[in-house]
Amino acid sequence: MHKKTAFSFPDEVLEHVFSFIQSDKDRNSVSMVCKSWYEIERWCRRKVFVGNCYAVSPRMVIKRFPEIRSIELKGKPHFADFNLVPDGWGGYVFPWIVEMAGAVPWLEEIKLKRMVVTDESLELIAKSFKNFKALVLSSCEGFSTDGLAAIAASCKNLKELDLRDCDVDDLSGHLLSHFPDTYTSLVSLNISCLGSDEVSFSTLERLVCRCTNLRTLRLNRAVPLDKIANILRRAPQLVDFGTGTYAADLRPDSYSDLAGAFSSCKELRSLSGFWDVVPDYLPAIYPVCSKLTSLNLSYATIQSPELIKLVSHCPNLQRLLVLDYIEDSGLEVLASSCKNLQELRVFPSDPFGVEPNVSLTEQGLVAVSSGCPKLQSVLYFCRRMSNEALVTVAKNCPNFTRFRLCIIEPRTADYQTLEPLDVGFGAIVQYCKDLQRLSLSGLLTDRVFEYIGTYAKKLEMLSVAFAGDSDLGLHHVLSGCESLRKLEIRDCPFGDKALLANAAKLETMRSLWMSSCAVSFRACKLLGQKMPRLNVEVIDERGPPDSRPESCPVDKLYIYRTVAGSRFDMPPFVWTMEDDPSLQLS
Amino acid sequence: MPNMEFQLGLALPTPSIIKGFDLNNLGLDHPKDMGGLEARNKPARCFSDKSKRSFEQAFGNFEAECKTKTLLLLWSGQPNEEEDHNDQKKRTFSTIDDRNDAEEVDQVVGWPPIKTWRKKIFQQQQQQHRVGRIGNNRVADKENGSRSIYVKVKMEGVAITRKVDIRLYRSYQTLTNSLITLFAKYKKCADDDYTRYILTYQDKEGDWLIAGDIPWQSFIRSVQRLKIVRNWG
Repeated sequence: MHKKTAFSFPDEVLEHVFSFIQSDKDRNSVSMVCKSWYEIERWCRRKVFVGNCYAVSPRMVIKRFPEIRSIELKGKPHFADFNLVPDGWGGYVFPWIVEMAGAVPWLEEIKLKRMVVTDESLELIAKSFKNFKALVLSSCEGFSTDGLAAIAASCKNLKELDLRDCDVDDLSGHLLSHFPDTYTSLVSLNISCLGSDEVSFSTLERLVCRCTNLRTLRLNRAVPLDKIANILRRAPQLVDFGTGTYAADLRPDSYSDLAGAFSSCKELRSLSGFWDVVPDYLPAIYPVCSKLTSLNLSYATIQSPELIKLVSHCPNLQRLLVLDYIEDSGLEVLASSCKNLQELRVFPSDPFGVEPNVSLTEQGLVAVSSGCPKLQSVLYFCRRMSNEALVTVAKNCPNFTRFRLCIIEPRTADYQTLEPLDVGFGAIVQYCKDLQRLSLSGLLTDRVFEYIGTYAKKLEMLSVAFAGDSDLGLHHVLSGCESLRKLEIRDCPFGDKALLANAAKLETMRSLWMSSCAVSFRACKLLGQKMPRLNVEVIDERGPPDSRPESCPVDKLYIYRTVAGSRFDMPPFVWTMEDDPSLQLS
Repeated sequence: MPNMEFQLGLALPTPSIIKGFDLNNLGLDHPKDMGGLEARNKPARCFSDKSKRSFEQAFGNFEAECKTKTLLLLWSGQPNEEEDHNDQKKRTFSTIDDRNDAEEVDQVVGWPPIKTWRKKIFQQQQQQHRVGRIGNNRVADKENGSRSIYVKVKMEGVAITRKVDIRLYRSYQTLTNSLITLFAKYKKCADDDYTRYILTYQDKEGDWLIAGDIPWQSFIRSVQRLKIVRNWG
């Protein structure tokens, strides 16, 4: 007879306790306590996050967690966002949908990032999951509005349809008209990336009218300004709104109509859209500005004076995305007006121009770092930087969790001293002890990597371009950064030595990307042979790597850990380095 | 020995047993130092036999046919699209086997790191700018409502050239008000009360004229660029 110890609870009790544990990390820890906890936990896990869709097979996931309701998958490497991953590389979601359609009919939520989604996949989702509630596609491609129409038409309980930065083949199928007249459960709709010029406004208004729980609505550029007022009046409960094009001929009646409509939205906290902004219409949003926490003006081509006026009206702003038209002067106003600012992203208005077209320098960043004590996350594009400024910023903001600086011209030195920016970034990693994400730019030697390896102990993601002198740089990072999960490198003189010396480290990371570096084909083969739990992929559009000498550097290298073995869906320009069992260490 | 069952999980165990594992030690020479890499654009010969290689051989040598992507620093005297290029040297980073797509505006693939989606918007705005510049001021009135005409604005004595969207203004007054705000900080202190500025523009024929003489609607169809000059008269 099985003897119950003092520590055994009925399964139901444990399950109930586990239901309070939501984070993946904690769930994983719970499952490692003992066999019975592993078993109980796996049956009651509802959400799974797979950071690399090739790290594990869909069958393995479903076998272990048969009762999931939500899955999140990421496909292509991050540098795919910048066209560094050739089309056809992979990241197909269809095999996952097929497995889940059969085994997990109660799936409610699918979130995908950088994956190839097809209409076939969308139609399969629409058909297979009766209680489907949320589809979030971020930077995905490969599908059209036909596939989305299937989702709209079939998923009666759909709450969320969120397309962020997707490349959608817009077939003008009047997507919104596919929601049945009886459908009312929409809570969040983001169609901002749809390109079609055809939007049926009456359909949109009717949809908004009958979906009384609608909280998030982000329209696409095709929706003209004069339609916004009607929509807002029908949805005064909106919390997050994205306009379409924000331009029209100025007419007093349409202006007051719009201003009135905005005033009626007492819950509005987040605004975005603002394509083609006409400054005269901006004050229409002033009534809601005092409560705004998030503002995305990164498509708004308005100049500094208008931006300053706007920002001065938003004292509770926590998140601002803006073009560099805001300039140093605007950032100074931001620093004095928005004391709750946590996240700032400044995008370049003229990224490919050689001359600066705006007066945005390191001074703006310094001002914000000084004036906004809660600043945690920065993405900043600029054309000049100094070590002095970076050291000041680091001392002002020890709470940074994300710091991404892009000095537009590669290898730009400190403009004051003409030295490398090693010391400046060194200060960032030294003072910001909780830094999780860092992107480097400017002139950098191996020294900056020594600082990073020494101080950046919580760093999880590092992006490097046009930096370093030798393998020592890479070695510092791989041997020193204990928390490193993702490392992406382009155009750096890093080669075989550091990579091979730190091979074991790669199994503790999600992935490593290296392109236009100096890693030889020989080293890739060796790594692939020795490390069975890594997939070592050589991506080379010049042709098979073995048609060149082994010492030739490969074009692109993507290494990731996996329990699923080599993948089978590689295009002709991707080669996986084979495992060689006879050479494995015991 | 670790319980293998748990290793079926999604999380891989930390391989403390293979810590310090160095693949460089597998019967290959290792170099005495992790010395600096020679400049990458030095071509040299490559040994194709599979015997042990020295550090220098493994690194600095690429066979001539080996179509390596090498970063070259090119100083090009190519003129800008715009006319002002007297003192400009455009520094171009290019790769030997550069994929020059027709749509790719940037000289280096994927740099600066801007999402494809955002680049598309930027390129649409640039196209509108070009349309405005090439004398075809009839801007493509797209259904999505974008109707911008960007012109460069230079102020005498100021290094930075601005671009403004002429379409945003309804009259000379609103335009000059905005320009005053934009350039106010550049007025030198000594000039304050005594210097006046006038707004001039270059028309379709290339002539420089004083702004304000022709009706606003004709002006915005004709203007190519603006310049704010000191009025000594």
